[in-house]
Amino acid sequence: MALLLAGVVALNVAVLRLNLQSDQLAEERARLRAESAELTSMLAVRSASARTSSLARNKLGLEQADPATTTYLDLGKR
Amino acid sequence: MSARLSNRRIRLLLVFFTLAFLGIFGRAVWLQAVHARPLDRLARGQHHANIELPAARGSLLDRNGQELAIGKHAITVYANPRHVPDPRATAIAVGRALRIDPDRLYGKLADRSRGFVYLARKADPKRAEALKALELTGLGFYPEERRAYPQGTVASHVLGFAGIDNKGLAGLELSLNKTLAGRNGRQSVIRDPFGRTLKVLSSVPAEEGKNVRLTLDQTLQANAQSVLQRTVRRWGAKAATATVLDPTTGEVLAMASEPSFDANRFPETDRDTQRNRAVTDNYEPGSTLKVVTVAGALSEGLVTPSTQFSLEPKIQVADRVIGEAHRKHTERMTVAQILSDSSNVGTITLAEQLGRERLEKWVERFGFWRKSGIDFPGEAKGIRPFYWSGSTIGTLPIGHGIAVTPIQMAAAYGAVANGGVWIRPSLIANRPSQRRRVMSRRVSDQLMSMLRDVVIEGTGREAEVEGYQVAGKTGTAAKPDPSGGYSESLYVASFVGVVPASNPRLVVLITVDEPHGAIWGGVVAAPAFQEIARFALQYLEIPPDA
Repeated sequence: MALLLAGVVALNVAVLRLNLQSDQLAEERARLRAESAELTSMLAVRSASARTSSLARNKLGLEQADPATTTYLDLGKR
Repeated sequence: MSARLSNRRIRLLLVFFTLAFLGIFGRAVWLQAVHARPLDRLARGQHHANIELPAARGSLLDRNGQELAIGKHAITVYANPRHVPDPRATAIAVGRALRIDPDRLYGKLADRSRGFVYLARKADPKRAEALKALELTGLGFYPEERRAYPQGTVASHVLGFAGIDNKGLAGLELSLNKTLAGRNGRQSVIRDPFGRTLKVLSSVPAEEGKNVRLTLDQTLQANAQSVLQRTVRRWGAKAATATVLDPTTGEVLAMASEPSFDANRFPETDRDTQRNRAVTDNYEPGSTLKVVTVAGALSEGLVTPSTQFSLEPKIQVADRVIGEAHRKHTERMTVAQILSDSSNVGTITLAEQLGRERLEKWVERFGFWRKSGIDFPGEAKGIRPFYWSGSTIGTLPIGHGIAVTPIQMAAAYGAVANGGVWIRPSLIANRPSQRRRVMSRRVSDQLMSMLRDVVIEGTGREAEVEGYQVAGKTGTAAKPDPSGGYSESLYVASFVGVVPASNPRLVVLITVDEPHGAIWGGVVAAPAFQEIARFALQYLEIPPDA
């Protein structure tokens, strides 16, 4: 009887521990998701084409290629 | 001690224990039976918690997967005023950390009649974490998702806005709300006094919102917006729109409106600026509508492109005299010249041959007077003439007394460019297309040839793109005067073009509302077309055809 009671107590303690761990993992998951969303947002801002072309123009002095001087090569069917 | 005294003490003890037992028993009955339910509820309230598991809202992506609208981490700060020991000091600390006016916070924190007040919904997480570190009594924090538009002004009119509760309130955020929102989950848990979960009783996981890929290309969109901004500034115009459409699929590659705004500042932007004018606004199209009359006359077999007419510079239609914009003398013109020279008299002559019923049928066939079906809320369907008077046969074919939306007009020219097949315009990628034949391929080829002449030798020369054949049509329409008739100073200038004309890949429509200094579509709108088309052709690596 005592053994059975000890077993039940041990089982409950184990369940309690697992629940606490699960709670911590859920918090960690939420934190990582938030971090991921923040990084995605930063990446989206940084890779915006308007920003890229503005930086290319103003910082690197690049210019849009003149369409009249752009040559297209027709490689035909391979 | 006598036996009598002992017995008396024992009896007293017995009475005491009996009373104590009865008291305990009574209390037990009181707690377990009489007050069981309220106490059970109280215990549940203290230990049980029903937590809503918020579903992350899906992102809106451009056609290449670039994020246009995403969910960002935020922290909501709340307080229980009854637990706040010093409302003034707390208000100052919170105000400093979150950069909010402490006076506004003090009012909330000092109101002890309430057990819950929001101090800041979806605050900046870094600032909220700094506030949390102060460990102020009575404050609480929980994570939320805040909608963010990382590209600011890019496509802001199209994207719309999702409010503080992450519900779509305008634009595609509204029309796609079901798909984007997902479904919140629920969890029932038992917590310890520190708020840690001891046991999960039941759990329904959240269904995350789905990402939606749009047909817009952020690079083309940003370029169209910047060209439009320059155009509005150059001509001191009130507003403008640019629509770039792939005529073979109906996909909208760019849809810009000016004035523009930062999508992150949607609530502070006035409603007039928020409108996606390309879909929700009607305008009188002027000469760009002439293509409908010419298409009708050709399709009905009334004329061929080379049929000639002797045209006076003016024409009497019922009680009105309608004249040419530039021509002052009688001239013989072919049907092709009527369209390329944008002859009012010639177009009205063709419309009279068609007659009212057939003319209306052709206007409808091109998709006017009904919603195009584009996946955007609040689409206008254009305006039919209020009543058909004797002069309507003269005004309607030249685009007066009728109003259309820019997206209707772009789709109509898309049909001309697409061998006579109209395709429902779309902002959402991979949406099943809706197609219908408007005219034969022969007639659409004839129209394309005439529209090419508009740019080569007609009113649209400013739309020429070096290396490419362009087909297009200019439009200049006086705006209706609120006091009746038409304004003599306010116009809508437009240009709609197809490029490359030999193998159409793009339809670009520009409308400029109330330009100053010049009013003609060929002068005001055609250069904007040229800039947008030139950039798009190079960006999409479309080889020249001229």
